[in-house]
Amino acid sequence: MLETFANLAHGFAVALSPGVLLYAFLGCLVGTLVGVLPGVGPLAGISLLLPATFGLDATRAIVMLAGIYYGAMYGGSTTSILMRIPGEAASVMTCIDGYAMARKGRAGAALAIAAVGSYIAGTASVVALMFLAPPLAHFALRFGPPEYFALLVLGLLVLAYMSTGSMLRALAMAVLGLLLGMVGIDQMSGFFRFAYGVVELGDGIGVVPVAVGLFGLSEIMLTAGAAVPQEVIKPRLRELLPSRREWREAWWPIWRGTWLGFLIGIIPGSAHIISSFVSYAVERKLSRHPEEFGKGAVAGVAGPESANNSATSGAFVPMLALGVPSGPIPAVMLAAMMVHGVSPGPLLIRQQPDLFWGFIASMYVGNVVLLILNLPLVGLFVNVLRIPYPLLYPAILTFSIIGVYAVNNSVVDVWIMLATGLLGYVLRKLDFETAPIVLGLVLAPMLELSLRQSLAMSDGHYAIFVTRPISAVLLGAALVLVLLGLRPLISRGLDWRARLALAEKGEPS
Amino acid sequence: MMRVRVFVAVLAALLAPAALAAAQEPYPSRPITIVVPFPPGGVADLHARPLAAALEKVLKNPVAVLNKAGAAGAVGMQHVATSRPDGYTLLLALSSISIIPEADKLFGRQPAYTVDQFEPLALLSADPTILVVRSELPWKTAREFIEDARKRPGEIAFSSSGIYGTLHMAMELLSHAAGIKLRHLPTTGAGPAINALLGGHVHAMASGPAAVIAHIEAGKLRPLASWGDRRHPALPDVPTFRELGYPEAEFYIWAGVFAPRGLPPAVRARLDEALRQAVAEPEFRQAMEKLKTPIAFKQGEEFRKFFEADARRLAEGVRRVGRIEEKKEDKR
Repeated sequence: MLETFANLAHGFAVALSPGVLLYAFLGCLVGTLVGVLPGVGPLAGISLLLPATFGLDATRAIVMLAGIYYGAMYGGSTTSILMRIPGEAASVMTCIDGYAMARKGRAGAALAIAAVGSYIAGTASVVALMFLAPPLAHFALRFGPPEYFALLVLGLLVLAYMSTGSMLRALAMAVLGLLLGMVGIDQMSGFFRFAYGVVELGDGIGVVPVAVGLFGLSEIMLTAGAAVPQEVIKPRLRELLPSRREWREAWWPIWRGTWLGFLIGIIPGSAHIISSFVSYAVERKLSRHPEEFGKGAVAGVAGPESANNSATSGAFVPMLALGVPSGPIPAVMLAAMMVHGVSPGPLLIRQQPDLFWGFIASMYVGNVVLLILNLPLVGLFVNVLRIPYPLLYPAILTFSIIGVYAVNNSVVDVWIMLATGLLGYVLRKLDFETAPIVLGLVLAPMLELSLRQSLAMSDGHYAIFVTRPISAVLLGAALVLVLLGLRPLISRGLDWRARLALAEKGEPS
Repeated sequence: MMRVRVFVAVLAALLAPAALAAAQEPYPSRPITIVVPFPPGGVADLHARPLAAALEKVLKNPVAVLNKAGAAGAVGMQHVATSRPDGYTLLLALSSISIIPEADKLFGRQPAYTVDQFEPLALLSADPTILVVRSELPWKTAREFIEDARKRPGEIAFSSSGIYGTLHMAMELLSHAAGIKLRHLPTTGAGPAINALLGGHVHAMASGPAAVIAHIEAGKLRPLASWGDRRHPALPDVPTFRELGYPEAEFYIWAGVFAPRGLPPAVRARLDEALRQAVAEPEFRQAMEKLKTPIAFKQGEEFRKFFEADARRLAEGVRRVGRIEEKKEDKR
């Protein structure tokens, strides 16, 4: 313990040296920008800036790249809240309640809560990273395909809590998402599925273009097509800060999101987007006013935004403690280390104390920098809403197209975005929710791959899911959830007449 | 229809002088793009960046790296295959360049590109794969591993970077040479494959040396043998499969520079010269040293021969693996 603090003090000496501090600041700034631009996420940002770090020393390079990573998680909420366009994939859930808050004139409050939530999550998860990295990393590696499959099954049950409207409609959308997720090369056999000769579809349909299309473009079209043009919101300065009630509502979701995000972030392969989905579902389940979700619930912003931030720290656990990537972004950062002659591996913490402790300390500093950077920007960003729609929306459309193109240098992605934008418009006109499509699209390839990998490991025996302790426990929990979900169905079935009467009155049952 | 034809004719007439001018201007006079068909940070990308910097210095002309990832590299490679052979679009490819068209053939699909659409320019590095197992497992030597695998076919499992991927092919060549049968767990990349090995979900793996040396030093993994034609300098105690009597198990993860076929001879000569000089630049050498990847520079006829021999080996490997569902039917 004492040793940890001595090391941390050393780390702060590294992190606060002007050279490192400057690059931490730069990374945070670029990250915020990357997060704000629709479509461009941390992976694209880090990839674009990776070559620029080749001339730096290893510590500065890693500190800057990490700054971009967690900075993007701060910035990602901005366009989600203001314009319903996910700044990066993990902000999809923020679109729903964040934008609803903005329409109620609480944009400033939503942005401030997202920033503070991200700060708390960022800082608390660095503490966890510092103390728990080595033991947790070994635990994380025990998540093989069967455990991952069980976790995803548990995650899929989350679907049940995602929608605000009819269950049937939500499931239909989820299935559509799952179907879209089937497109691409089958990882287990090498088959091209549903690609129709388009090589670009080999990797499947990307989450980013679909999310930007379904959420952002559909909103633009809905606004343009509204019979009565929507009023431009004019935020007043004193309404920028969250009220006392809003803080109270945000407090526990922030902490729950922090823990959830960190734990999900550690497991190799899982994305931040899942942590935000799970956090949203948990908050909705725990909330005393679940009916507020989708209509501007504070917890629906605070939880997922905290979760996606602490998931970034979680993702650093296997990277720093074992030198293995937990996802595409840590993989790029590991490559950056190798470029600088640092071989990432289990001995990294011992061999490169400057790098490790400097990195940890820089994350404490970086989170403060981001808070200072983001809170005053709330006032500035909110003014975007003053821009009249005929000017604002074409600009957003342009940025969305550029952003989506930039991720893969792919025109096909732009077409996918436009097509899903149209699809989203039609679906929302018909009163369908689009979030389950994104969840289905994210989960389908992972679920399928982990199931088939598990069966490849066991040579086709399904027993592998129950003989391995972690997966057995997770699947058990999933079963309990299903049974709990069935109970009201049975009890409600008894008084169906009463429900029918309610339905006739137009009240949701 | 008529109007379209007129339009095309006018367009062609307008473009013809431009094309002519382009043919006459000295090479290079515009920025050169090196296409990397994989995401940034991968092996190909880490070769391309320092090479671009060195080429820029040698040619005194901007050289940019463009990551065009997708479909295991097929997207970027197809892009280059159909680019104009003017020396302004180059490709940095890995061994997988000759695997993808073979796999396409296997499934009877229209191939995204064919190998003879490219002109091989230079080989930059060729690192043999290394057979590693978790250190708590009983096998101390490759012989013990192979004997055990022979005793219980299909029970020892290995992870790979993906079906028909380089790491899968290496294991396939070994299985064929040694007459053993292993259980295959494909993953989505070299990183996840190492995770599966370290997490104890499989027993063994073929990996590039740079990715596993840190884990070998930390005592987590044990190297058993290498696929090279001689011992790897970083692992001098590890024998090669050739030494052990399996000369067919020879495999390298290599990185090379290609151009679309049909470069004008003058451009080709200029590029050959520039590549030779770029590889000798101290910055490039340093960058490769840090990656723990020895430079293995080959050009012209020498590289072409290496490339063709390698492509033949891999094509045979892909055919032997065959289509997965056909194999399942064999079992019944």
